[in-house]
Amino acid sequence: MTLTAELRDILGHDRVLSEPLERWVYGMDSGVVRGDAQLVAFPETTAEVAAIVRCARHYRTPIVARGAGTGLAGGAIPTQPGLVVVLTKMNFVEIDEANATAWVGPGVINLDLSKQTETHGFHFAPDPSSQSACTIGGNIANNSGGPHCLAEGSTVGHVLALEMVTADGDVVMLGGPAPDPIGLDLRGVVVGSEGTLGIITKALVRLTPNPPDVRTLLTGFASVEDAAATVSGIIARGVVPAALEMMDQRMTQAVERFVSAGFPTDAAAVLLAEVVGLSAAVEAEAAIISEVARENNATTLRVAADESERARLWLGRKSAFGAVAQAAPDYYLHDTVVPRTKLVETMTRVYEIADRHGITMLNVFHAGDGNLHPLMAFDSEEEGMLDRVKAAARELVEVCVQVGGALSGEHGIGIEKRDLMKLVFTEADLDAQARIREAFDPAQAFNPDKILPAGSRCFDLGRPPLEGMWV
Amino acid sequence: MTSVRSALDRLPAQTAPVEGAPNADVTVAPASFDEVGVILDTASEHHLRTLIWGGGTHQGYGGRLDPVVVLSTAGLNQMVDFQPEDLTVTVEAGVRVSDLEDRLAEQGLTAALPETPGNATVGGVVSAGISGWRRARYGPTRERLLEVNLVTGDGRQVRGGGRVVKNVTGFDLPRLATGSFGSLGVIVQVCLKLWPLPSARANVTVADGDTALAAAYRPQAVIESDGTAKVYLGGTPEEVEGQSTALGADPVEGWDWPEHLSGEVQWSLRVPPALLRTAIKEVRGTYSYQAALGVGEVWMAGGDGDFQTLRTWAESVGGALVLVDGPPGLYERIDPWGTPPPSLSIQNRIVQRFDPVRILNPGRLPGGL
Repeated sequence: MTLTAELRDILGHDRVLSEPLERWVYGMDSGVVRGDAQLVAFPETTAEVAAIVRCARHYRTPIVARGAGTGLAGGAIPTQPGLVVVLTKMNFVEIDEANATAWVGPGVINLDLSKQTETHGFHFAPDPSSQSACTIGGNIANNSGGPHCLAEGSTVGHVLALEMVTADGDVVMLGGPAPDPIGLDLRGVVVGSEGTLGIITKALVRLTPNPPDVRTLLTGFASVEDAAATVSGIIARGVVPAALEMMDQRMTQAVERFVSAGFPTDAAAVLLAEVVGLSAAVEAEAAIISEVARENNATTLRVAADESERARLWLGRKSAFGAVAQAAPDYYLHDTVVPRTKLVETMTRVYEIADRHGITMLNVFHAGDGNLHPLMAFDSEEEGMLDRVKAAARELVEVCVQVGGALSGEHGIGIEKRDLMKLVFTEADLDAQARIREAFDPAQAFNPDKILPAGSRCFDLGRPPLEGMWV
Repeated sequence: MTSVRSALDRLPAQTAPVEGAPNADVTVAPASFDEVGVILDTASEHHLRTLIWGGGTHQGYGGRLDPVVVLSTAGLNQMVDFQPEDLTVTVEAGVRVSDLEDRLAEQGLTAALPETPGNATVGGVVSAGISGWRRARYGPTRERLLEVNLVTGDGRQVRGGGRVVKNVTGFDLPRLATGSFGSLGVIVQVCLKLWPLPSARANVTVADGDTALAAAYRPQAVIESDGTAKVYLGGTPEEVEGQSTALGADPVEGWDWPEHLSGEVQWSLRVPPALLRTAIKEVRGTYSYQAALGVGEVWMAGGDGDFQTLRTWAESVGGALVLVDGPPGLYERIDPWGTPPPSLSIQNRIVQRFDPVRILNPGRLPGGL
């Protein structure tokens, strides 16, 4: 028997792909690195996933789970010849209205979940820009964010329980429907583990009540400094908006050419703020935001008059990356976080880096969180361009780390930033993370070579376990 | 024995026994991460069971321990880095929750930690995974943990997370440490995400807490104590006024959180939020109680009800009945946690990799880990 034949016994012929073109397609996600997919499997049930894992284990074939492949850090590509397990067929949704939760399959598309729960008065709060394509399983793997995570937090705060297939092919439940499940919070560490600890086959997600009212404000400024001061000013006044997004002039101009969202193209920076809640509350908060924006010399200040104007503003924000395709054939989108008070300083240095390397840089980001998304637009056909882009990317990450930031706010580490982990963590820190991984998956059957640089597990650190202990 | 004795004598930062802590051979109160490292390395070498002690507030949770060493976090009491504009604060584990919140309130901020903490320390609250009433609005304490510094059982100094409000850089050690009861290491320092302290604060007594929970859009908390329900409101004055109007009641200024229940035996009953009313019916009349509506937790005290039937029901609906405090004899008769979680073997493998000799609070976690 071969792995292919055994998998076809489990799934049938059509749900196992092995042709070169099919393997080529599933060797990529939305990042810049290509992997080696030897086989692609499409399970529909937890039992099938468990059987696949046991089977791959027998053949010592690495397993990479994936959803829609919208990840930007290469988290879903097989670095070694491996089996790609595509979970998009597991897309059931069972809503529990009384508990404001839903059991969902990992393949459910983020936006579909919010659409399906809308009639019940709920939505799923994490809203990455890719929400019309990305899956909940992928959101869980990356602990995805989105504009509305400023007030609501990232995916991990919206996942109560996970059904997971372990490296042994067993099925285990982590977390639960009641508050504070007893024991270690394995749910919390599996969220954001980028498919390295197990395969999620089912998740209990928390739904957020749709707000009774909403105000979306568009403000424009003559300088990035004024926009950043407005962000700090709003929060200093005790208002944490549902979202607080910034775009620089290059980005607003690209977006306007693309979708005509109504952004002022003459402003150096545009700030999109949204507040939600009872009508009286959102009126008051919108007034505070307007006041702070005026104090900081806003050149544009507009409250979306109705739902269609609001939708257009958000379409503009979420089309940012698509809009860039007009500027250049390729783009490299980065994701780093800095303390919010370091935004202006960081932006200034990031623009300097791009200028020095002769690269067009556009910025759109979650200003309230200090979560930057510098985007470099380029043409990879141009001689030496890709190397310049990579060099600039490394420099900008270093700048963010220098001001006290982190490598990634919501896209994950994957393969892209794996070797940069040493910039922020010591040998002992990385060893501790490797120990967590080892406890779940000692043979690194799941998504090998991701997150942690080679050699992270230093066996000379610390004491060996007691003899006879249950290890 | 001599070698153990001399090892004990050599431990740095020795101090007088801490009031309330169980008898131990030695009490230490290290004042630096390095000192914690030296103590734990020695303790691992000589297999010295070590009980970690903060404010002594949550010591009733979990299995009992007969410690050789009591490690007090009282010497780790520095506020390390307060960045009000970034909404972050970094503090050592021994800082008292009440001191921290007082300091934050001066800047109009809160960590939304337990509201009536007594002597509880930040490290103790994080280690026990305890949340305040305001979790109904801001989520549980683990949602606030941005960065953690641990000294593992074998004395390694380890950091996870970072001092930014949003971060997916590596495995989430801060969340794993929250509620770990010292099993991974001594939590020596944490960075917490902060929230603005609402400028207007009020509470409203209502006839029906369930209806009020739905009517007041995302209040700070709704608490039912022995049959009386109160809604806690916070935000701009306009928001509080709007919520009060929606509730059709006059607000009383301030929050006025309920004091902890008293009673020799105390429990935490945890169920899916929609089953809270059923849980209250089971408890009411037998125990005094405080229930967090919309959250699914009932704190219970006193009474001599049939806890086993209640626990069986709670576990059957995906919850738990956890012993919070009780007389020593009770721990010999019952399991303080109930049925251990199905992921026990993975939990065990993690603990082994952080505390290989298993000296830190052994037996404290569910399943005797």
